[in-house]
Amino acid sequence: MSDTTTPQREPLPLRLLDGITQGLNVAGSTLILLLMTLVGIDVAGRNLAGNPISGVPELVTLSIVAIVFLQIPAALRQGRMTQSDAFIGWLTRTYPTIGNLLATLFDLIAIAVIWVILRETWPIFTRAWDRGEFVGAVGDFAAPVWPVKLILILGGSVLILQFAARIWRRYR
Amino acid sequence: QDYNVTIAAGHPPVFRWVKMISDVFVPTVTEQVEAAGRSISFSEQYGGSLAKVGEELEAVEAGLAEIGTCQALFDPAKLAVQNVTYYTPFTTSDLGKVSTIIDDMHANLPAMTEAYGENGVVYLGAPIVIDDYLLMTNFPVNSLADLDGRKVAAPGAAINWLSGTGAVGVSGNLTTYYNELKTGVYDGVIVFASAALPGKLFEVAPFITKAGLGAQYAGSLCANEAWYDSLPQEAKDALAAGADAAQAWYVDQLEAAVTASLTAMGEAGATIQDAPDGMREAWAAGMDNAAREWADSLDAQGKPASEVLTNYMTAMRDAGATPLRNWDTE
Amino acid sequence: MTPFDIGLLSLLAMGVAVMAGMFVPIALMVCSFVGVWAIKGSPVLASKLLALAANDAISSYFFGVVPLFVLMGFIVSEAGFGRDAFDVANAAFRRLKGGLGVGTVGANAIFAAITGISIASAAVFTKIAVPQMIRHGYTPRFATGVVAGSSVLGMMIPPSLLLILFGILAEQSIGDLFIAGIGPGLLLAIFFSLGIVAMAIFTPRFVGSPDEADIPSLPRSELLKKALPIASLIILVLGGIYAGIFTPVEAGAMGAIGALVLGFAMGRLTLKSLWTVLVETGLVTATVCFLIIAAQMYSRMLALSGVPAGLGSLATDAELGYWGIILIYCAIVIAMGMILDSSSIMLILVPLMLPVVIPMNIDLIWFGIITVLAVEIGLLTPPFGISVYVIKATLDDPNITLGDIFKGAAPFALIMLLVLGLVLAFPAIATGLLR
Ligand code: NA
Ligand code: NA
Repeated sequence: MSDTTTPQREPLPLRLLDGITQGLNVAGSTLILLLMTLVGIDVAGRNLAGNPISGVPELVTLSIVAIVFLQIPAALRQGRMTQSDAFIGWLTRTYPTIGNLLATLFDLIAIAVIWVILRETWPIFTRAWDRGEFVGAVGDFAAPVWPVKLILILGGSVLILQFAARIWRRYR
Repeated sequence: QDYNVTIAAGHPPVFRWVKMISDVFVPTVTEQVEAAGRSISFSEQYGGSLAKVGEELEAVEAGLAEIGTCQALFDPAKLAVQNVTYYTPFTTSDLGKVSTIIDDMHANLPAMTEAYGENGVVYLGAPIVIDDYLLMTNFPVNSLADLDGRKVAAPGAAINWLSGTGAVGVSGNLTTYYNELKTGVYDGVIVFASAALPGKLFEVAPFITKAGLGAQYAGSLCANEAWYDSLPQEAKDALAAGADAAQAWYVDQLEAAVTASLTAMGEAGATIQDAPDGMREAWAAGMDNAAREWADSLDAQGKPASEVLTNYMTAMRDAGATPLRNWDTE
Repeated sequence: MTPFDIGLLSLLAMGVAVMAGMFVPIALMVCSFVGVWAIKGSPVLASKLLALAANDAISSYFFGVVPLFVLMGFIVSEAGFGRDAFDVANAAFRRLKGGLGVGTVGANAIFAAITGISIASAAVFTKIAVPQMIRHGYTPRFATGVVAGSSVLGMMIPPSLLLILFGILAEQSIGDLFIAGIGPGLLLAIFFSLGIVAMAIFTPRFVGSPDEADIPSLPRSELLKKALPIASLIILVLGGIYAGIFTPVEAGAMGAIGALVLGFAMGRLTLKSLWTVLVETGLVTATVCFLIIAAQMYSRMLALSGVPAGLGSLATDAELGYWGIILIYCAIVIAMGMILDSSSIMLILVPLMLPVVIPMNIDLIWFGIITVLAVEIGLLTPPFGISVYVIKATLDDPNITLGDIFKGAAPFALIMLLVLGLVLAFPAIATGLLR
């Protein structure tokens, strides 16, 4: 983003946050491409070489959660998160103070509810890490589940920060 | 009500191990509790309405449900040693024997119940036993060589059973076998009779080979530990009585279903045969000892898999089973 | 207050929160949290339910392929194949009043043969058809409504992930279900088209004043050139599935690879445009899957409240006879479609209904088609209508509100209801091809 498009350069923390958000977005997109390739190689291996890749369904299963939590902060930042904005839009135009208060309240609620999810995911992550939890079957294919839990926590944290950034931008 | 109990199962009630809960476990427990002058109500959450298949243990541990079907087969990381039967094929086709021995091991072998405690649940009983796995193919099987290069689907750990056969093991799922066999994604599947009939698999894979791969243990009823500990003895007794009744009913029903399924599939035109001479032996002999690898890797994580493996195989031999491979002593 | 009352109250709270402008997934999550807290009396339990659902709800092979179907759709769109299909369809219908609308439906019916989910259809045609229709004088409301409505074809015409899910739940042949979906899918396309022409003639204020005179007719060679890429993709996907080379679930990845190869070979794709497509796929997938996670939290809370079971026993206990049960079942599916996502509804209701309908000796293939048709109406109805949400997310235009799209989609929901009625009355529409 160049400075010519934004009249006022945003403070460093906000730019940093957007940078991180975009980084996660890139990681998620790459993961989608990898999934496509993986399924393709599996199908080819099974039909042409009699040698399928073990664990493709398991990897697909794990990846989707990672993809969603890597990209959801970017989706919020770009205004894609689903919202019915007719009422709140009208309120903000007519009574800006009240409209902004309501929007801020909604953002705070979002922060709280994502926080609740992350706080309960943390023990799920540490246990998966400590005990080496995996998907698949011993002897055939096994993949650890902790990276996905970690990505959920990471993506969720950035999502919380993006909600906070909305409040900051609103009153800046 | 004196007790309010939520029961979670990821599978819908068409599955026998869910039906045993609503048809036998719940009525038996209710009767016992009421006989003791108390009242109980159940909220039955099946088919993934509260927890998906493989998620039940977590839901019970969290206390979202008091009781659930703890699916060792679908939760192999948490209930690891419970998967012993899937690593010891060719041990017994007698599903009643598997049910009894697994239940006994849970009662007498601390190594067997350790994993439940680690996950904040207790074993209630009513083992979910799977009847003898069959090989169903869309081509006739006269020897092990016929499997060479064929794509055969198998669930989870059972894919290890195809090692050494020359078949291409594809990780598959019961729910889509029919379609995949019909279009030819697979040439065969490893599946059990009581599911093959309702799944109409005989239409697309009419050659059924009974190789004695074995009956299996997949999970059982479990309860939230804190909740269970808070119950008075009479309620615990009622739950135990319910689980015992469910276990007896389940084994009877499943044995009858296996006979009926094989008959029905035969009448529908399927070719059913015992594995040809030498094929079983050759299959078993050529297989990797995945049980050893499994037990060693779990032992290394501090999970008493070798102890469970030895106990299971010993109990089976003592009960008159004649395993083709002594997975524990090799 | 009983759990049942809490469940009902949470429906109201969810509606109000969404209308007031809270993000829809957040509204669902908050209502689930408060609902479970009120039902079970424990905030800890409530947060555990949320966390487990966040970790596990979409963690399945079935949901895992959603981004691949969306990716295929976006590559098809970026490489201009979707536009070609749209041009071909338009050339065919250019003399009709409302021809672009009919063209959208036709192109969607073609595209449905390669995608397994409605989300991909809605996203792709939002990109291709909506700007064209608005440029030619249609109201944004109607243009988005046409796309929302015709997106349901993605799930009726095979391949279809929802039909696979039904096949799994009811142990029915997925191949048979696919074949049974063709008739109702085509009937839907025909009725949508008739509806569009009728609305263009009789409700010009709703439709706008389409001026389609400048749409060129296509010479036969041009027609062939435009039809060929999409036709070869259809052959690749359907051929691959029916020849047993890959599964319908794998079809998304194989279609995406096919479109990619074709796009690069024809010089219609660059690495840069591929990257844009990937990022867009990620954003739409995340938006939709985040909604589905939230919806499954909500459906688990509702399960604990006993509302779905209560509704289910309404259908199963009422001694209404065969038609009474089928009709009340459809009504409940449609009602649940207002607030829940498609797969949640099927996971809750199908296992509940099977023991009731199997003794009635009904054709379960037909029952599956009925179920998916009724479930898909929910894609278009507020407050939780996934197709409408996808269009909004893909459109990225603040001037077109969710309310506009819901209003535009309403006539199409009614047409679906009509087709549902026809399939109920004449089962052969679905099962005729099988017998
Ligand atoms: Na389709
Ligand atoms: Na809806």
